[in-house]
Amino acid sequence: MTTPIRVVIAEDSAILRDGLGQLLVDRGFVVTDAVSDPEALRRSVERDCPDVAIVDIRMPPRFTDEGLRAAIDLRRRHQGLGILLFSQYIETRYAAELLADGAAGIGYLLKDRVADVSEFVEALTRVASGGTALDPEVVTQLLGASRRLGTITVLSAREKEVLSLMAEGRSNAAIASELVISEGTVEKHVASIFTKFDLPESQSDHRRVLAVLRFLDS
Amino acid sequence: MRIRVWPTEMMIVVSEELETRVRAVSHKVLRAPFTRRTWSELWFLVTGSALAAVGLAFVALTMAAGVVFAITFFGLAVIGLSLRGARGIGGFQRQLARGLLDEQIDDPDPFVPRPGFLGWLQTVLRDRTGWRSVAYIAVKVPLAILGILTAFSVWFDAFTCLITPLGGGYQPKEFGLVPVLFPPGYLSIGSPGWLHGMAIVCTGVILLFAAPWAVRLVVFIDRRLMRALLGPDAVAVRVRSLEHARAQTVDASAATLRRIERDLHDGTQAQLVTLAMRLGLAKEKLADPDHIDLDQVSKLVNDAHRGAKEAIIELRDLARGIHPPALDIGLEGALATLAARSTIRTDLTFALKDRPTPAIETIAYFCVAELLANVAQHAKASRASITCAQYGRWLRLVVRDDGIGGAQLSKVGSSSSGLTGLTDRVHAVDGRLEIVSPPRGPTVVTVDLPLHA
Repeated sequence: MTTPIRVVIAEDSAILRDGLGQLLVDRGFVVTDAVSDPEALRRSVERDCPDVAIVDIRMPPRFTDEGLRAAIDLRRRHQGLGILLFSQYIETRYAAELLADGAAGIGYLLKDRVADVSEFVEALTRVASGGTALDPEVVTQLLGASRRLGTITVLSAREKEVLSLMAEGRSNAAIASELVISEGTVEKHVASIFTKFDLPESQSDHRRVLAVLRFLDS
Repeated sequence: MRIRVWPTEMMIVVSEELETRVRAVSHKVLRAPFTRRTWSELWFLVTGSALAAVGLAFVALTMAAGVVFAITFFGLAVIGLSLRGARGIGGFQRQLARGLLDEQIDDPDPFVPRPGFLGWLQTVLRDRTGWRSVAYIAVKVPLAILGILTAFSVWFDAFTCLITPLGGGYQPKEFGLVPVLFPPGYLSIGSPGWLHGMAIVCTGVILLFAAPWAVRLVVFIDRRLMRALLGPDAVAVRVRSLEHARAQTVDASAATLRRIERDLHDGTQAQLVTLAMRLGLAKEKLADPDHIDLDQVSKLVNDAHRGAKEAIIELRDLARGIHPPALDIGLEGALATLAARSTIRTDLTFALKDRPTPAIETIAYFCVAELLANVAQHAKASRASITCAQYGRWLRLVVRDDGIGGAQLSKVGSSSSGLTGLTDRVHAVDGRLEIVSPPRGPTVVTVDLPLHA
């Protein structure tokens, strides 16, 4: 059996913090600490060196974006620490700020996503191992607000589905199983998207997420 | 015994008081010619009059030119310039009054023209401050002439009289006000002699001590004039206070929305997310029929069930905080519900002839709710009472308790946003909130609200 993933939870709502802790323990994670404010989170990461931190964006003292600030700060100090931002709302500006230093080990999910336990656990695992997990809502917002609408309409319906899943940070294998197609077909779609967007093809999952997001956001 | 002693004591007190007052007045009169105030008032009279003369010349010339050319835009523009200039002169006058008279006249609203030449013209021609400055200049000039004449004749006569003995046989001229104050020829009565000289010197002394008061009278009239015409006018002041109240209302409602969002976010939303998470976990556990741990699943479902019930209660409280359903049956019923729900025995006296507007009813309701919550939390009271009465077009709410007292506005309120927010709302409708709470009680909070707002 592989070593369990070590998680720290920073969430100011006690009820959600406890529930999340129970869920993660039930799914074989090790919860190193569960804290309710950014300061305690910093101390906890310093002390326990967890693999990934689940961070609520809105935390004391001002209840605006303290969690995001703490997350950006933690990433600069602790290489390899995965960050899963957790929020009731999706703000594309937050996503852009968070991804400014690269998409490896970054996640940004709506809190609602914990209702689908397996998908949530999978996303957390992906972030912990250096991957990316973006909420479908982030992708939808970026697609909706993108000035590249002309280019996006060139994509086929299938390609759009693949694009969305790719932007969420899924691997080709995951996309294939989600859409019930072969991995080879996924690769073909991905290549076609990159050609249509005129982007250099990228091998690693998180690099291509970034490429796609930058393209949509520019 | 006491009764006989009393009047004597009174007499002493009164005479002492009288003595101090007489002393104070005479002190003032004797010192007046030598105080800084006298001289700066005289200086103000000189500079202010000069400024007014220049102002009148400017305004008269430009206005005349403006009227001559009034058939063209050019004429209107000249009138506009005239008004701008008058405004500027008014500003100088205020500076002078501030510097020399220590008369603090607030600046009127600054001149903010609308964009474009036509906008400027429209704004400047409708500028009440400009027109009022013109009126001031027009009234000020005759006042200044009168003032300078008065002041200088009195001062001049005082000095000529006082130097008479030094000049030997010199006969002082009757100048300015002297023939008015004294019978004509007073100073030339009789032949020059010792007694005559004394009379002249005495007149000089009297005039010397009267001179500051003559100036002061003129300056006093000018002060009133400046306050009436150069300060912000009553309409502008009212507009400003309404703007302030509106800003407070906007802020208060924004704060209320933020509080509701916070409550939803931290309370109900978190509850529901947790609920969905537990149900999701339970669902997945049930999906694998070979390894169902019934204890675990039933615990998850139990927790979810409890969470759902808590969420419902939180949501209901929140909804009640936005608009109390009790108010639908009227303020009396709503207040009766509040009184009945209070943990302390609370009596309600309700006497309103007219029904207030819904906004006022809501404010009144939340005031009482907040005050009763406060009584329950801090006052250590055994009884409380609510009185709601009508005085003409006003509604007066009085919440009284027999507790320990010592309540302050900053500390009252069950939450930080509680009564402070309410005070803002009360002020926004021109209402008033007053707390009387001496140590050891009782505490009486009075809220006055207009019936219709």
